[in-house]
Amino acid sequence: MPAARLRRVTKQFGAVTALDQVGFGLAPGEIHGLLGENGAGKTTLALVLAGLLSPDAGRVEIGGRPFDAGNAAAALRHGVAMVHQHFSLVPRFTGLENIALFNRGAWTRRGAPAPGYRTQVERRARELKLDVDLDVPVQALGVGSQQRVEILKALMSETRVLLLDEPTAVLAPPEVEGLFAVLRRVATAGTGIVLAAHKLDEILGVADRVTVLRKGKRILTKETRDLPARELVRAMVGDPNGSLPDVMPAATPPRIPRARSFGPRGSARSPNKPAPVASLANVTVADVTTGTAGRQALRKVDLTVHRGEVLGIAGVEGNGQRELAAVLAGVRRPDSGTVVLPGEIGWIPQDRTREGLMVDFSILENVALALHQDPSFRKGPWLDWAEIERRTATLTREMDVRIPRPGAAVRTLSGGNQQRVLVGREFLRGGDLLVAESPTRGLDVRATQAVRTRMAELVRTGNPPPGIVLISADLDEVLDLSDRIAVLVGGRLVPAPPGNPARAAIGKLMLSTGKEAGREGETGANKAKQPARGKGA
Amino acid sequence: MHPHPADSSSQEQTPPHSETPPPGASHPVHSMRQRVRSGLQAVAQAGVALLATLVVAAVLLALGGHSPGGALGALYMGAFGSWNRFVSFTLVQATPLLFTGLGVALAFKAGVWNIGAEGQLYAGALAGVAVAVLLPGANPVLLVPTTLCAAAAAGALWAAAPAAMKTRMGVSEVITTLLMNFVALYFAQFLVQGLLQESRGIFNMTDEIPAAAELPPLLPGTRLHLGFLLGIVAAVALWLYLTRTPGGFRVRAAGASVKASVVSGRFNPRSVIWLSFLGSGAFAGLAGWTQVAGITGRMYEGFSPGWGYTAIAVALLARLDPIAVPITAVIFGALSAGGGAMQREAGVPEVWVRGTEALLILAVLVVDRGVRAASEKGHG
Amino acid sequence: MAEMAELTSFLVAAVGLATPLALAALGELFSERAGVINIGLEGSIIWGALGGALGALAAGPYGGLVTGALAGGATALLFALFAVHLGTNQIITGTAVTIGSLGFTGAVFQGRFGATGLALELETLPAWQLPVLSRIPVLGPVFLDRSVTVYAVYVLVPLLWWFLYRTRWGLSLRAVGEAPEAAQAAGVSVTRTRTLAVFVGGILAGLAGAHISLVHTGTFSENMSAGKGFIAIAVVVLGRWKPGGVAAAALFFGGAEALQFALQALDTDLPYPLFLALPYVLSMGALAGWFGQSRAPAALALPWPR
Repeated sequence: MPAARLRRVTKQFGAVTALDQVGFGLAPGEIHGLLGENGAGKTTLALVLAGLLSPDAGRVEIGGRPFDAGNAAAALRHGVAMVHQHFSLVPRFTGLENIALFNRGAWTRRGAPAPGYRTQVERRARELKLDVDLDVPVQALGVGSQQRVEILKALMSETRVLLLDEPTAVLAPPEVEGLFAVLRRVATAGTGIVLAAHKLDEILGVADRVTVLRKGKRILTKETRDLPARELVRAMVGDPNGSLPDVMPAATPPRIPRARSFGPRGSARSPNKPAPVASLANVTVADVTTGTAGRQALRKVDLTVHRGEVLGIAGVEGNGQRELAAVLAGVRRPDSGTVVLPGEIGWIPQDRTREGLMVDFSILENVALALHQDPSFRKGPWLDWAEIERRTATLTREMDVRIPRPGAAVRTLSGGNQQRVLVGREFLRGGDLLVAESPTRGLDVRATQAVRTRMAELVRTGNPPPGIVLISADLDEVLDLSDRIAVLVGGRLVPAPPGNPARAAIGKLMLSTGKEAGREGETGANKAKQPARGKGA
Repeated sequence: MHPHPADSSSQEQTPPHSETPPPGASHPVHSMRQRVRSGLQAVAQAGVALLATLVVAAVLLALGGHSPGGALGALYMGAFGSWNRFVSFTLVQATPLLFTGLGVALAFKAGVWNIGAEGQLYAGALAGVAVAVLLPGANPVLLVPTTLCAAAAAGALWAAAPAAMKTRMGVSEVITTLLMNFVALYFAQFLVQGLLQESRGIFNMTDEIPAAAELPPLLPGTRLHLGFLLGIVAAVALWLYLTRTPGGFRVRAAGASVKASVVSGRFNPRSVIWLSFLGSGAFAGLAGWTQVAGITGRMYEGFSPGWGYTAIAVALLARLDPIAVPITAVIFGALSAGGGAMQREAGVPEVWVRGTEALLILAVLVVDRGVRAASEKGHG
Repeated sequence: MAEMAELTSFLVAAVGLATPLALAALGELFSERAGVINIGLEGSIIWGALGGALGALAAGPYGGLVTGALAGGATALLFALFAVHLGTNQIITGTAVTIGSLGFTGAVFQGRFGATGLALELETLPAWQLPVLSRIPVLGPVFLDRSVTVYAVYVLVPLLWWFLYRTRWGLSLRAVGEAPEAAQAAGVSVTRTRTLAVFVGGILAGLAGAHISLVHTGTFSENMSAGKGFIAIAVVVLGRWKPGGVAAAALFFGGAEALQFALQALDTDLPYPLFLALPYVLSMGALAGWFGQSRAPAALALPWPR
């Protein structure tokens, strides 16, 4: 009997189908890798399997019986535990307290603490060879230790199914090895493990079987033993020879020749290229979000973007994308390195409802948010609301924004219309540099087309045209829009390997651990060789 | 040179901003027609809240064995019954509420939970008295502006410690501003028993301020003083600032979203928070001093009947819109002025007025909650 | 010997003044550890005082203690109805509950006893004189010859500590105040936990009010809570959100207040208002980290769901 099974499960979020009639089986004692790009449906599948999301159609079975837990503690009673990408720990609780919170019945007998509980936890930690400090608030622990608390918490009771969502994303390489050793021991004891991840070679090293998802559909399920990495890459990123959808306007000015190299040296060798509008040299930024001491979000990044070009930055999220955008937009100073930026910079941030827009304010005021510092929108000490209103009217017309009623709060707009407002407003800044982070994420086809078309128009016909840095985990988008492409992996910026089709090579690089790529990045050398070919092929 | 509005850690260290926004924290401003429309909506919401309060209060009065009609009638007559009642009592009572209400509205607009208006009011009153007493014989043209400035500065200063603790250490201003209220209260007690005690040294109050420091009456034959006019001017000025200037826009943006302010507004919300804190304190400081210089003539223990707290209700009912604060301040001034008449004429204890104030705050909260829930349902 | 007597009477006063603060602050501690800052606590205290007085008239002082506690709890439930269930702003709601309670207790009192403020005389709670121990010099009269409310504090401090740190409910409650998402994931109902915490906090504040009317004064007067609900919030800060610390801080605040009366009685020139201000200044200092790191529960004053 399988430990867990999904039968033709479908899950939709609005217009997006996150899972499309997906079937899935997990055998007891197996480690099952779940692969796919961002948005392929990995996390959704894990959440459905964990009983934390109810499917719209289809069935979930645990140990042969239908299952719908609703919350993590209830799931745990059914023997299903999930370790999330963002841990659900109480930061100021100790490890022991966090573990007890999830196992309250075991911790206390009739309300009072059960005397043996601590010993029990320690014994379990020894069995699993999990090195966990139980008496320190978990916020004082590194990410790796926090994750071990999270795993121990999940494995305190009889666990049939253990789900881990991107568990290696936050770990340093030696910690990854340690984690996998633990998972193997757990699996040996009969627990079925689902490991959602995007790093190919890691998964191949630990999983017994893999399932690949793409755009909510299951593409393949195979034993890892006889599975070439190339086949997996193809399954994840799609047909390498597939044609690109044509989103460019028919009559576009001649493309700037795609550079063969990347970085300041590269630009110096192309004398007829337009002037650079922004450049980073040797930029390093500490990672303050995960709190791991010494971990860097950006490592010695070199980058130059020129007027009239789209520089595409591909890569899986969490590899330094947020920090790179903030540095390029000028709101974050690097810890070291040189930054040269133009005076005005557009930025389409990833989190549009919290960083890009004030959702309780009107479109007019959201436009003003970007323009209010610009002297041309003032009359003496006053804001020139009439002028801002005129610009807003132009914006809503050109971006084809559908407004429920004039002056409505942005909250009342659809996601696509919100993004149109945001994109249009950042164009309005008239900056020499535009940083666009996942500008079409979560949008339907029409809105996606609209945003891409407008970006393509701007960079060709703007007066003067800005340089655009497009940061996106959507490889199709990067390939469609970019003149040059680099990959951000492990905080290092690595130029895309040349060649057409580039998709497979870039996909491979995106899914690498970044270690080998990093060495290349550090030297800052021209990329004649293809950095990603070293491993796994 | 590209401006760096925030240093590298700004996104992480910006103070928390996630409390429930107060009603009116972020109502949009637009073209004339839309402004009229949103203005009408605000008036309608306030009207619903007022009506609900009246109904509940009437029911409670009836339950308490009073005649609701008689009580409310007496209250109305006490507040609006004659020109003199209106001007010398209602408007006079409204004046400190007008200033503190503006201060609270400014702070809440910026997402700053300053509930320390009471303490800032005391600080302002004390500073005004101190300057007035220290500069005897100065002429009014000099003394009136000087004391007003001193009061505003002292109120701002009283807000500075909580502001610094919020922006530098992330300590919630809710508790610190509350604590500073008590420090101010006892500090005032200390001063009126010591340094600033009246010359005979008997009563716990200050000397009468010199006539040159007094705010002249606005209408001859009434108690209404220049302070009320200053309050109206301040309300208009604050309204213009918030709706018409880049700085005021930043205040509202910082109150709506600290993150969007950094990322999309490219300014440092911390300096906006500082400014709002200080401005809010300054308004409260003016509330204290104009009351001394216009009405009481001196400072004493228990000087304020809680103007700093009632200000929260005043600002809320105005939906934090400065231009509406004079109106709501007059409503609360009327409650306060009419309360005495209600007790005399209808035998309903004056304390009912305070209960009614509380009902009004709750009604505003619930109406706003309902409107928000309806709009989320409609577009969610 | 005379000095000893003075010291004793000072300490007796300090403990007496500290008791309502300790009760209310332990109540506030309870709801703050669940992530709810209840500025309406003042309302629970004044209703507790009035409820205690009315109950005592009907059923004697111990009956008054029960009605006072219930009145305080009911007031807190009203606050929770708005701030926890409807998700209205905790600070504004609390302010409204305080203002309204001060007003309506006055209205009820005047409605019952007349606007002239007929001097109400209540039978007070008797002191429980512990055999033998109460004869220990200084300590005996100060700590062991007191009303039941004082003993309640002695019991509540270890009890609350045990509850918060040693029981599963305490664990859940603290989790709700620190990280409601994580608590919800662990199957804890944030709304129910917060409501209960606020209710229990209100009961303790009601006891504090009953102490004021039934032990301290033997009467009721309008506004007799005199800001003790706000002071309790400061006490919680100075006590660093721990039961033992809160009791110590309450004693400190009570001592400062007793010192004021002592100094007034002695007719000295010492500026006693400054002594009264001192605990608040120190509370500010505690928040600024003068005495080591002191942090409020991480989810304090944040609505749920967000």
